[in-house]
Parts: sequence; structure tokens; C-alpha cells
Amino acid sequence: HIAEDSSELLQHVKFQSSNFENILTWESEPESIPGMVYSVEYKTYGETQWLAKAGCQQITRKSCNLTVETGNLTELYYARVTAVTPGGRSTTKRTERFNSRQHTTIRPPDVTCIPTVRSIRMTIHPTLTPVHSGDGHRLTLEEIFQDLFYHLELHVNGTYQMHLGGKQHEYEFSGLTPDTEFLGSIAILVPTWSKESAPYVCRVTTLPDRTWT
Amino acid sequence: EFQFGPCQVEGVALPRLWEAFRTMKDTVQAQDNITSIRLLQREVLQNVSDAESCYLIHDLLKFYLNTVFKNYHRKIVELKMLPSFSTLANNFLFITSKLQPSKNETLSASDSAHRRFLLFKRAFKQLEIEVALTKAFGEVDILLTWMGKFYRL
Repeated sequence: HIAEDSSELLQHVKFQSSNFENILTWESEPESIPGMVYSVEYKTYGETQWLAKAGCQQITRKSCNLTVETGNLTELYYARVTAVTPGGRSTTKRTERFNSRQHTTIRPPDVTCIPTVRSIRMTIHPTLTPVHSGDGHRLTLEEIFQDLFYHLELHVNGTYQMHLGGKQHEYEFSGLTPDTEFLGSIAILVPTWSKESAPYVCRVTTLPDRTWT
Repeated sequence: EFQFGPCQVEGVALPRLWEAFRTMKDTVQAQDNITSIRLLQREVLQNVSDAESCYLIHDLLKFYLNTVFKNYHRKIVELKMLPSFSTLANNFLFITSKLQPSKNETLSASDSAHRRFLLFKRAFKQLEIEVALTKAFGEVDILLTWMGKFYRL
């Protein structure tokens, strides 16, 4: 009797993190085995104890939200998943060492683009994260990454671009042609950690000029 | 530039060190299966005063250069990660050469920094040498994160 290889039951056990929302995901081969259940544990690197994640014991889905449990920015973590088939075969696989500040990706910013006759104003709304400070308030990306800044581009008829950038939230592209469509693109950059978000894109048309000339 | 208390180091780009280490991190950390021991523990790096920081970074970087990098070099060659390793080592060498922990600073700062360093060194010595080298090298991200607190763009 050749022992069936259980390790195939579980693959790609890893954290997927964006804006500090840390989700543990995994896959199994074949895609789904009826009755297969999964249980998740996690630990802080350097600690002995593995802790069972409540709400992710004997589950059938292939993801588990560990945002709260892995929320300390200065700590490193591991998670592991145990898969068990109805027939009792099981395997356990572990993630790589994880730290949310190193690994999280940055989502596009939330921006309001407001046209006038000859300008477009862009207001960037700070992004709240699930990370809490010592006094319990939720931190923004800016509070976590001291060197975070915004890069704004305005594309004019596909060739010509205007650029603005900085740490503030209010920007204005001025001297524009009335009644013309523009494409705005706003991204977040964090140089120290070599992070850059995908851009938020807004398509805006300046207002018609109704003044008598 | 870095500003470790009284010690200033210009000409080093922290993002570049991160980029170099990032290309090696997963490979090296995957070989460290002891998840219950951390060499750069909280007690080594937490709440380090400015006055201590120059002494501590000097001790740590010298240890990394003279013990960890020197003895882990063969493994790095095996793993074909020499370019990134050299970037890291050369920058650590440069930083160390610029650090001049002053002699007339209060004795307590250098003593306290040295006690922190000894915590790290003792934990290192308690492991079998190959295991210790892999773990120490895999913890360079913890070191870079701490160094980031003293970095000004």
C-alpha cells in the first residue's frame, strides 16, 4: 500500500495584504474535495505558542481574515493551515514570515475631482487603516508611512501632461481650456518601502465658458 | 541620511538596502524553521535612546560584517544571490566606517547599548552555527526596520 502524498491537499498558503488588511489564503489540489475542512493557527515570530484562530476552525472556505491578529506593525508573524479529508488524511503548511508594513500593498487613494471653467480641483481623502495607535484611534496611511506623498497627473488630449505632487490633500490644475475632457490620475508613493499604489483615475470635463467676450 | 544620535551617516539610500534584502529574504527565511526563536528580540531594539543608538548600530553592523556575512558568504554563493548580498555588505561597511561613537559620551549610554547587543549575541551563540547564521541573516529586515527610525529622506 503506497501512502498517498497528503501535501498536495494544500498549496500556496500565504498572506494577501492590502492597506493593512491581512487575509490568509490557500489552495488545494484537486480544487475541492467534498467534506475537506481547514483549521488556521498563527503565531508571533519568536514566540513558542501557536494560537488557534477563532472563526477559522474546521471551515470549508479557503481564506481567513487575520488582520487583527497580525496588526502590530513591529512584529513578524507566521500562520499555518491544517487540511483534513473526510477519510482522515491531513497535512499542515505554513506561510513565509510576514510583517504587514513590509508586505502590504497600497490601494488607490479616494479622490474627488471637481471641474470649474478653467481648472480642475482634486481633493484627496486620507485612507484609514485597520491599524490602531496606542490610544486606540485608527491610523491613516500617512501616519504609518512618514514619507508617503501623492503624485498627480492630468492628461490633455493623450499627449500633453501636467504634474503635481506633495503631501497635502488639496491640488488644482489651472489654466485649462473650457468645455474640454481631461483624464486625472492620482497615485500614492512610499519611497522608503518602495511602495506605489495603482492610480485612481477620474475623467472630467471643464465647464463651458458662458461669459460674453 | 542616517542620524544615530550624535552620529550622522550620509550617502546611503535605505530603500536600496531594502531592495537588496527583499530579493534574498524569502529564500533565506524559508530555510529558518525555528519560528520560536528571534535573535533581534524586542529587548534589543525597543526604546533605544538616541545616545545609545550610535553604539548599538556600530556593534550590530560590525557583528553582521565580521561574523554573519563573513561566514554566510559561501551559502549566498550557493544560492546565487551575490549581487544583492554585496550591495548590503558594502553599504553596511560604509555605514560602519562613518560611525564614530564618541568616547566622552556618558558611560551609561554605551553600557546600556552593549547590554542590548550582548542579548542578541548570546541568543546567536546558543544556536548551532549554521542555524544561527541563517536566522541572523533572515532577520536583516528587523534590523533595517529599526534603522529606518533614524533615517531622513
